[in-house]
Amino acid sequence: MIARRDYDVLVIGGGPAGLAAALAAKAAGAEVGLVEREERLGGILKQCVHDGFGLVRFGEMLAGPEYAHRYIELVEASGVKVLLETFVHAVRREEGGGFVLECVSREGGVFEAGAGALVLATGCRERTDRQVFIHGDRPAGVLTAGLAQHLVNIEGLLPGRRAVILGSGDIGLIMARRLSLEGVEVEGVYELKSEPSGLSRNLQQCLVDFGIPLHLSTTVTAVHGRGRVEAVTVAEVDQKGQVRAGTERRIACDCLVLSVGLIPENELALSLGLTLDAVTKGPRVDQDGASALPGVFVCGNALHVNDLVDYVSESGEAAGAAAARFARRGPGRAEGAAGRDEVGASGLGGPGRPSVPAAKPRKGALARARARMAARGAYSASGVVEAAAALAEDGLVRVRPGPGFLYVVPQYLDLSKGGPAVFFFRANATIKEGATVTLSAGARVLLVKRYAALRPPEMERLEIDTAEIPEGTAELVLELRRKGEDHV
Amino acid sequence: LSLEKLRAAIRARCGDEAAAREDRGSLVLEGRVATWAMRTELGFLAAREGFRGVVNDLVAADAEWAAREAPGPEASAAGGGSLEGLAFDMVVIGGGVIGCAIARELSKWRVSVLLLEKEEDVAFHASSRNDGMIHDGFAAKPGSLKAKYNVLGNRLWEPLARELGIDFERPGALVLFANAASKALYPAFAARAAMNGVDGWEYWSPRRVRAEEPNVAAGQHGAFFLPSAGIVSPYRATVALAESAIANGVRVELSTCATGMALDKDRITRVMTTKGSVRAALVVNAAGNWADTVAAWADDRFFSLHQRRGTDMILDPRAGALQNHIMSMPSVTQAKSKTKGGGLVRTVEGNILVGPTAAELPGREAYATDPGELRELEKHLRLNRALSSSMAITYFAGVRACTWEEDFIIERSTRVRNLVHAAGIQSPGLASAPAIAAEIARLSVEALSETRKVAPNASFIARREAPPELRRLPLEERARAIAANPSYGRIVCRCEEISEGEIRDAMSSPLPARSLDAVKRRARPGMGRCHGGFCTPRVMEIIADELGSPLVAVTKKGEGSEMAVAETKTAERGGRP
Repeated sequence: MIARRDYDVLVIGGGPAGLAAALAAKAAGAEVGLVEREERLGGILKQCVHDGFGLVRFGEMLAGPEYAHRYIELVEASGVKVLLETFVHAVRREEGGGFVLECVSREGGVFEAGAGALVLATGCRERTDRQVFIHGDRPAGVLTAGLAQHLVNIEGLLPGRRAVILGSGDIGLIMARRLSLEGVEVEGVYELKSEPSGLSRNLQQCLVDFGIPLHLSTTVTAVHGRGRVEAVTVAEVDQKGQVRAGTERRIACDCLVLSVGLIPENELALSLGLTLDAVTKGPRVDQDGASALPGVFVCGNALHVNDLVDYVSESGEAAGAAAARFARRGPGRAEGAAGRDEVGASGLGGPGRPSVPAAKPRKGALARARARMAARGAYSASGVVEAAAALAEDGLVRVRPGPGFLYVVPQYLDLSKGGPAVFFFRANATIKEGATVTLSAGARVLLVKRYAALRPPEMERLEIDTAEIPEGTAELVLELRRKGEDHV
Repeated sequence: LSLEKLRAAIRARCGDEAAAREDRGSLVLEGRVATWAMRTELGFLAAREGFRGVVNDLVAADAEWAAREAPGPEASAAGGGSLEGLAFDMVVIGGGVIGCAIARELSKWRVSVLLLEKEEDVAFHASSRNDGMIHDGFAAKPGSLKAKYNVLGNRLWEPLARELGIDFERPGALVLFANAASKALYPAFAARAAMNGVDGWEYWSPRRVRAEEPNVAAGQHGAFFLPSAGIVSPYRATVALAESAIANGVRVELSTCATGMALDKDRITRVMTTKGSVRAALVVNAAGNWADTVAAWADDRFFSLHQRRGTDMILDPRAGALQNHIMSMPSVTQAKSKTKGGGLVRTVEGNILVGPTAAELPGREAYATDPGELRELEKHLRLNRALSSSMAITYFAGVRACTWEEDFIIERSTRVRNLVHAAGIQSPGLASAPAIAAEIARLSVEALSETRKVAPNASFIARREAPPELRRLPLEERARAIAANPSYGRIVCRCEEISEGEIRDAMSSPLPARSLDAVKRRARPGMGRCHGGFCTPRVMEIIADELGSPLVAVTKKGEGSEMAVAETKTAERGGRP
């Protein structure tokens, strides 16, 4: 017999997003379980011994473990049930609503945890050398920046004595500094793109201050060495990222550290039938992280890769509180009886909650429900106009980024929830001359914000009051104008 | 006459720099040529002249280093003398799937067997660098040893896998027709399959193909279906064969390189190794890409090997749900090439493997990949509309050990009485392995019986107790296993869901893993989409604990591949005060 315990809300992942979500759900009155596969809470913050965390949230510069500690103390005092070294083997939807996690742990063996709502705070993983198609040999000494960080900061091991770093993402920059401080010679940081990928402050504090050269439009093409890395070949690339013939040079080193991107971890979301946004690689959500599947909320880096942990915590809070409301109240207006029933019918599996009498779908209702699910999960399903209409039927408003944006999260708003809504966006190119961003509903401009500069590595935050959105709005449009284009 | 013809051809291409002569029935090519490609061209040319074998000793000016390659470690890395003076009935050189399968077959006899493997683990080279396909035998040239042993091996794998406790599946292979005209090839295909003795074939209409493979590319015009095509994990199979051999009394010496032989007239008396010299009543040459070197030690180098590199790409296990069979679409030009052309192969773990490519390149252990090969793999990806290269987890290269005749050598030496060759075992070598091993064991026992009586091993245990794979157990059973051994409950590798206990099992098996790669071959941590980004430190900790060594000594793949160079707090400070 497999043991089972039920909660209102189960949060999966004990990093900054999950910690904040668990606390917020608990504060909203829910019984909360927090599932963490490692032996300690804190997620990746555990190994981030550098400072710079918490400036937005706490107004001070904290080290990663300090930032995590503030939340961990609160979680431990809150009555949230923390399940450490617990791995979610599978998640299934229950007949009648709710979810069951099949868990594995050393202490508990195999057990089940049930909940009315789930918060997925599963974070992200690093892109590897093979995913950026580095070739040559396969010696020891090629590692992602996060792995290098773990070896140095947690295990007390030096991955090499002369390192080359590929990728100017934040972890790569931080590791350039960290390795330098440990006496490793950092030969240089190489970046495929013509602009650095990390935060401006990290470029200054981790490279400039340490005299480490940054080589833009240059990449590592091959690794050499049998047992351990002996050298790498670097080469300049053109604007399309293609190697410029004749620019190859061999650099002696014993270690290659890669900071070439992060990918949201959404295996559980996928196993629940959610589809992912092609740009963010996370599920599409509303302002509370509510996904297309009622009762499943997503936050933090699982949603999109954030630049600051402070924003991760913020999204965790929103998702946790909303999950608690969902679990305690049951589905809201947007996820009414027909809606829930038709989610099951749409192929995600599992029928509606029996306590709500299942309405017999009218003719065409199923097709409309499918369109709605598709619209919330993937806008492309039935064309933009139909998708927007389907969303509007659910009381959802699509948020459409215009040209110049990489993405905006959340992808839609649920107006029935009321209150403020927070957006994050990234520009898709550096704008040095200044820009204006407007958010409007039809002719009504809801928000105008001016920026001295915009850079893709830096996330920008917007907040609006949903009460200001006119009734009947089907779509909000986010527009970007470079300085000087204001009157176009 | 044919020798004169060949000499003329050589002169026309390279003047007097290169020459050909006959030596004891083999054709020897000597001298210098400008390029590796020319060396290759002449090798194939020579193979057409009907000699027993081609010994290609041409040195290519653009790859002179290739002529100096040696199997052994540097002299300074030689091991101690732990094997010095020991005597064995059978010494098997090489711990790939062939050597390990042979060792296990030999353990069915009352003979003492030593298997020598120069690397820190078995399946280090070609046996862990292939697509795991158990070919049906259709592609092999009719009448070749490849055709014969492939079909026999294909039949033997299923019961063998059951004995070894490893996965074996028969998804079947679809050879897709590229155009309406190629459909007319069906009778010729069927005739070839019949000639090779392949176990079954069918014509599938385009509609049938679509029904069975909904994601198949639109350009298919039906398929030749081969239901007997199977898959195994090649490295797990090799480890399992070695473990079963060990359980039946075989001694496996890892990190032990054979370096030469002592002969007394027409008999090998000793095999020199980096751990001392051993007496050998019979020697089996299963040395993969070094089999011609081993043959030379016994003055029996009647053939030589050339290397054909192949690159495969592995897709995320999610891709596995998008395809049901092995699929390929040979091009017309493919018919003339030396290989089967590659395709999309399912793996027993649920990934899709794309490849392999084929390129004649120097380097017996040259596994560097290059971008051009990956671009070549794109053509296979297009066979399945649901797949894309963004699903790639990794890619790797392997090197096929090919004779110039492009067939296996499975025979007793004609010059040395106590030497048996399993050489030139390239694809479909994995598929053929059980049949090759049975034949080599038969030949070996026959040879040994000339000097002493050899009896069957009545206590041979065919069944290997495979360690549990927790993620695949029913939940109740899994719960019981964790209750008995809590380390099965601690998940170390999140992508592949591998527990600490399974890693410890891999390190306490009959052939214990001692490095990250060896653990990975057995238990799979780090095989998933994060590629070890998260679990590597955890696995290192368990390895260090099991070996009783400091964390800093943990290696990726044996000595010289340490994961770290020093501990931070004791490290030199790069010249800082």
